[in-house]
Amino acid sequence: MPNQFLFVFAQAHEDFRIPELVSIAELHGFELAIPDNLDCSRPFAVLSLEKEEHARLLARRCILIRSVYEFYSRGSSYDDLHERNRAARPKWEKYVPDTSFKFFVNGYNQSIPKARQRQVIEDFSYMGFLGKIDLKTPEITMGCFEEYRDTTGTTRQKHEGDGNFREVYFGRLLEEGSARSLIKTFDVKKRQYFGNTSMEAEISLLMANQTLAAPGKLVYDPFVGTGSMVYTTAYFGAHVFGSDIDGRQMRGKSQVPGIRRAAAQYGVEQRIMDLCTFDVTQNPWRCGGLFDAIITDPPYGVRAGAKRLGRKKGRTTPVFPSEPRPCVDDQPYIPPTKPYELSDLATDLVLLARYLLKPGGRLVFFLPTVTDEYQELDIDGMLCEGMELVANSLQDFGAWGRRLVTIRKTSTQSYGPPTFKPTVSGPGDAPVEHVPAHRDFRGKYFQGFKKDHEDSVT
Amino acid sequence: MVRLITHNLLACHVKGCTSNNFPLKLQDVQIALREAEFNEDFLRGFIPRLEWGALVQAAREVGDDSLPAEVPEMLDDEFLKQLHHVLLEIHIDEGSMVCPNCKHVYPISSGIPNMLLAEHEIG
Ligand SMILES: C[S@@+](CC[C@H](N)C(=O)[O-])C[C@H]1O[C@@H](n2cnc3c(N)ncnc32)[C@H](O)[C@@H]1O
Ligand SMILES: [Zn+2]
Repeated sequence: MPNQFLFVFAQAHEDFRIPELVSIAELHGFELAIPDNLDCSRPFAVLSLEKEEHARLLARRCILIRSVYEFYSRGSSYDDLHERNRAARPKWEKYVPDTSFKFFVNGYNQSIPKARQRQVIEDFSYMGFLGKIDLKTPEITMGCFEEYRDTTGTTRQKHEGDGNFREVYFGRLLEEGSARSLIKTFDVKKRQYFGNTSMEAEISLLMANQTLAAPGKLVYDPFVGTGSMVYTTAYFGAHVFGSDIDGRQMRGKSQVPGIRRAAAQYGVEQRIMDLCTFDVTQNPWRCGGLFDAIITDPPYGVRAGAKRLGRKKGRTTPVFPSEPRPCVDDQPYIPPTKPYELSDLATDLVLLARYLLKPGGRLVFFLPTVTDEYQELDIDGMLCEGMELVANSLQDFGAWGRRLVTIRKTSTQSYGPPTFKPTVSGPGDAPVEHVPAHRDFRGKYFQGFKKDHEDSVT
Repeated sequence: MVRLITHNLLACHVKGCTSNNFPLKLQDVQIALREAEFNEDFLRGFIPRLEWGALVQAAREVGDDSLPAEVPEMLDDEFLKQLHHVLLEIHIDEGSMVCPNCKHVYPISSGIPNMLLAEHEIG
């Protein structure tokens, strides 16, 4: 019989919890069955794993795991819980004779009065533990969790509704989640080099986990900017390539490029394979099939310009420099650029990934979208032969949100590079295919997501 | 810090420059050696992706002639150590890479090559 474990999640990024677990299980090559009826918005999940070691591996790598318990019982009342816990006796019997222990009870979305906490713990006395109680360094810690519904926004008296929980869980602490502390380690504000496009630490870590980053792998960020995901990906052992159309984003102001300085701070400098300045739509890659993963936060045109080499239509033809001008990218010559529409960029990115990834490789990227207009087809419509959706997690900001999309290259075939031809859709010629909600995101953003936005200038 | 592994993956991509556009010729380069972690699986996995002749040539251009002209049948330890050194530990910090065909110059500054194309060079 498989073993059951109680996972206690951090109160953040609920949509990312299960994809992260599944990714890390895949990385380590073990089975993790997610029950169909699992409600991932709840902070507790009871999951089956073949080995205890598997639960520990998850606790050491998943950013969203607060702690993992060997699962004993659950119930919608304490009567249920205790009845099932008695039946689970074979699981905890071995701790009866002489193991030092500690019990605690915790409320989720609720603080439980001290007196009732003592009562709850007392009610477990039928387990008959004979070892000594040790609050500081017990051999085992037994945890009991009361899960209450979220009541934010309502006014209540302290402890009001106490005991009126949705469900209660009980188990033995196996391991505290140790990966969460990395959020502090990678805190952007304490970084040697960052910019206004830097991605927050927690998300950069979650993204790195979606790539299955590990030693011996090669990962690429084609919109690397100030490198936020490079550090976390390299921290997990992978080598990382970065490129950006704007060399100044990667360099910053001092002689040693900013990304290198920050990487040195985290001790991963040697894993920055290289950084390069180029427009991803005009890229110099000699061949495909190179990378185990592509991780990126593409420009949406809100903070960082989404641009590509070329000149806006309708501008007077420039005078070309008569010779190719060698230039250094922190020096003046910057070729003209034109806007890069987000839905074009997203489609191109999937095709580019299909070209550059090894079979089985993953593309992990953020796609901003308009909450009211989003449809599943927006994502499905981006996929192409040989590329399959693995996960799609929403980070909700209200009127808009961004989706962390994970796609796997399932095909073993090799594919050529994309053409990067913009879709032509102007007034009058309505595009035949589905128009995703993220089309012209920039325009919609600056119009405050009003329903009848004009086709805005990009 | 253009490593030779990177050099082996970059080709000139100027519009219309599609033959004899690789390998880019190293010019006026400043080299630095920096130790890197050895990972055998990574190396073995990467060998099929390399243009071997180009790698041997680039290594010679920067003064390292330790690599055999052909990939050996048996990938022994000694060979993998050499390959590791050439691919990952030799860095080009300054200088440029020049297309053998169209002569486009891709400058390298503080280890970052500028592969941007000028307006008349794009498709
Ligand atoms: C949202 S930012 C990425 C931020 C990055 N994750 C960080 O930590 O700073 C997008 C980046 O894409 C770059 N970019 C925009 N268009 C590009 C293009 N066509 N090719 C390559 N880079 C591009 C911008 O210069 C910007 O640095
Ligand atoms: Zn050329």
